[in-house]
Amino acid sequence: MSLTFSLAHLMGGIILVFGFSLLSQRRLAAMITIYQIQAFVLSAAAFWQGYAQHEVNLYLTGLITLLIKAIALPIGLRMIVAKFNMIRAVGTAMPVLLSTIIGVGLIGVAVLVVLPSTLSAVSLTREDLAIALSVVLLGLLVMTTRRNALAQIIGFLSTENGLVLAAIGMPGMPFVAEFSVALLVLLAFLVVGVFLFRIREHFDTLDLTGLEEIERRGR
Amino acid sequence: MFLGLPGQGMHLHLDALSLLFLGILLPQTVASAAAGMYRSGTFWAFVLGMGLTLAAADAFTLIFGFELMSAASWLLVLRGDQKPATLYVGVAIFSAACLIPAVFLHGGAVMFLLIVLGAGAKAGLAPLHFWLPRAHPAPPAGVSALMSGGMVKVALYVIIRYGFVVLGQQAQPWWGGVLVAAGAASVLIGALRAMLETELKTVLACSTVEHVGLIAVGLGIALRAKAMGDETTAGLGLQAALLCAVAHGLYKPLLFIGAGEVKHSVGTTSLNWLGGLVRAMPRLGLLMLAGAAGMAALPLGPGFAPEFLLWHAAIGAAGAGGIVARIGFTALLAVLGLGAALAIGAAVRMFGIGFLGRPRSLQAAAAEEGERGPLIGMALLAALCVPVALLPNLILDALSPVIRLLEPQAVLPPLAYAPLPLAVLAALVAVGAAFILYRYGVRGSREVPAWNGGFGKPPPWLPFGDPTTQPSATGFGEPIARAIGRGLLAPGGGDPAEVFLLTPLTRLHLRGVRLAERIRRATIRQRLAFIFMALVAFLLALGLGEGS
Repeated sequence: MSLTFSLAHLMGGIILVFGFSLLSQRRLAAMITIYQIQAFVLSAAAFWQGYAQHEVNLYLTGLITLLIKAIALPIGLRMIVAKFNMIRAVGTAMPVLLSTIIGVGLIGVAVLVVLPSTLSAVSLTREDLAIALSVVLLGLLVMTTRRNALAQIIGFLSTENGLVLAAIGMPGMPFVAEFSVALLVLLAFLVVGVFLFRIREHFDTLDLTGLEEIERRGR
Repeated sequence: MFLGLPGQGMHLHLDALSLLFLGILLPQTVASAAAGMYRSGTFWAFVLGMGLTLAAADAFTLIFGFELMSAASWLLVLRGDQKPATLYVGVAIFSAACLIPAVFLHGGAVMFLLIVLGAGAKAGLAPLHFWLPRAHPAPPAGVSALMSGGMVKVALYVIIRYGFVVLGQQAQPWWGGVLVAAGAASVLIGALRAMLETELKTVLACSTVEHVGLIAVGLGIALRAKAMGDETTAGLGLQAALLCAVAHGLYKPLLFIGAGEVKHSVGTTSLNWLGGLVRAMPRLGLLMLAGAAGMAALPLGPGFAPEFLLWHAAIGAAGAGGIVARIGFTALLAVLGLGAALAIGAAVRMFGIGFLGRPRSLQAAAAEEGERGPLIGMALLAALCVPVALLPNLILDALSPVIRLLEPQAVLPPLAYAPLPLAVLAALVAVGAAFILYRYGVRGSREVPAWNGGFGKPPPWLPFGDPTTQPSATGFGEPIARAIGRGLLAPGGGDPAEVFLLTPLTRLHLRGVRLAERIRRATIRQRLAFIFMALVAFLLALGLGEGS
């Protein structure tokens, strides 16, 4: 029993650490790699929870996470990077140190919210939930602090990882929800990929500053 | 019925009060239609809205009619000009925002104050009168006439209906005090601006503000007296207010339709460009003179009896109550006196500058008599003014059921003013004087040297005379502007409500728009950041709230 929880917490902690390092990473290739490892750990966590809760659905979740997020999406992302030749570091809208400090603050917020408000609930998954919320908030922070569209997408995908982490920690979460979330992410990725190509065609860059400039001038 | 809340239907009911106001509405509607508005569907929607408000027996129908009236009149103002229409629709929305919650409250002072705010804004009670001198002159004359004569009465009807009938049992003396204060401020600012404005229609609109103020003062005195159990003063106040509404509903549309004809014939209504119109348009001039006599509240005119009653009511109110009330009502007497004097000045200035003297422009010199339809409408209103002017006792008798409805115990003293014998006497004196002049006077005209301020015979090279030898409308008002205007108007001569209420509101609105625009212009990342910050703030609030 204690092994179950410590392993689950360990994996949640690893996911959180990777979400955190996503925040401080400037190069796209490294961000993709970090995201990939995060997704691997997530699928492992799903398998472990499936084993611990004797739930077939969680195995399926882990499988989907493994196939789509740990294998398919990174391949696609790397293809985009290769296609656009974006080896250099991408611009951040905020100094890395500052965003790291804010990230720490966000984890504090997540703990502050989850721990008291679930005090009466099952104590089974409280820490897990706090970790998942932190991952979600960190992903959102990545989205807001990066100028590059691809980096924002990675932030979005990381946010989604946090959601799945919360879902697998909860006993009784219907499988359909996770499945549809995964599908949604895939679809969003496809749409955004097409969109990126269009942006690239028009502006020769994926840095959204150009787009904002056009938008401002157009008004 | 076809309107109304689902499952409840629409309720109409005509009692004496509704009938009185419908009766006020009828002649001016006929006159406006005769002045050419009968072709407009929006005009009839406007009339329908007013009628629905007056006949409504449930709150929903009342509000529906009121808003129909606002919307239709907005469209009609929009035909004239865009800026006043925007100002007007802003005030209409404010008034709706006050009225709609108010009518669904269950009594109390808050309800009364909201009603006074909402309907008062629509009626043009100070300090929410600033839109009226801008919006009323904008639309075609027939609509101006109905807005000034009818729409403000409908708004006052709402105040009467709720203040005296619906909330009659829980009335407090200070409710009347609120109405008196707002009315006194309206009298002062309306009369002063009527004396100073140079546009004919704006002068008339400012005079409307003044008369709305007079009616509100009468209503306020009556409401206060009713709450305090002073039945005589209550009766006097109601008599004054209702008679004033009747009279104002006759001569103000007349004047507005006449102003429309002036505009039609001369091309402008700026008093500084008019003059001598009574020679080119004698019938119109005569009818306008009748209207001006009403506006001036001179004896033998339709406007005198209500003012006379109002004085009595104010004196009665000043004679009772605490020291503050006594001082306040004595000050009110001074305000009413000043208002009456300024009203006479405004009427004299309007008629003297616009219709007497020499033309101030070629267009004024080339003016032609107005058209038949408007003249017939004006003649109808002027004919109805005669009984109000000469037989006010009859009108007051006809009003007594309404007053009994509003205040069942009201004591109605007979009016100590009999204009008919006075008029007969004055006519006898005039006929006698004319006869003596005709019999013993000097025949023919004599030429005298120019001494009358240079206003002599026009030289041959200036057939209409030198325009600069005549006082202009601005110059005529200048002494008043210096003597009183400095103290009452805002620095720079603007309306205080505009300067101290409208301008700050506009500035606030601009700031809000700028803020909204900044949010709208935000980049994708900034928007994400907004949402993100909102989320974090929410989570923090949740966490702290749970933790404590």
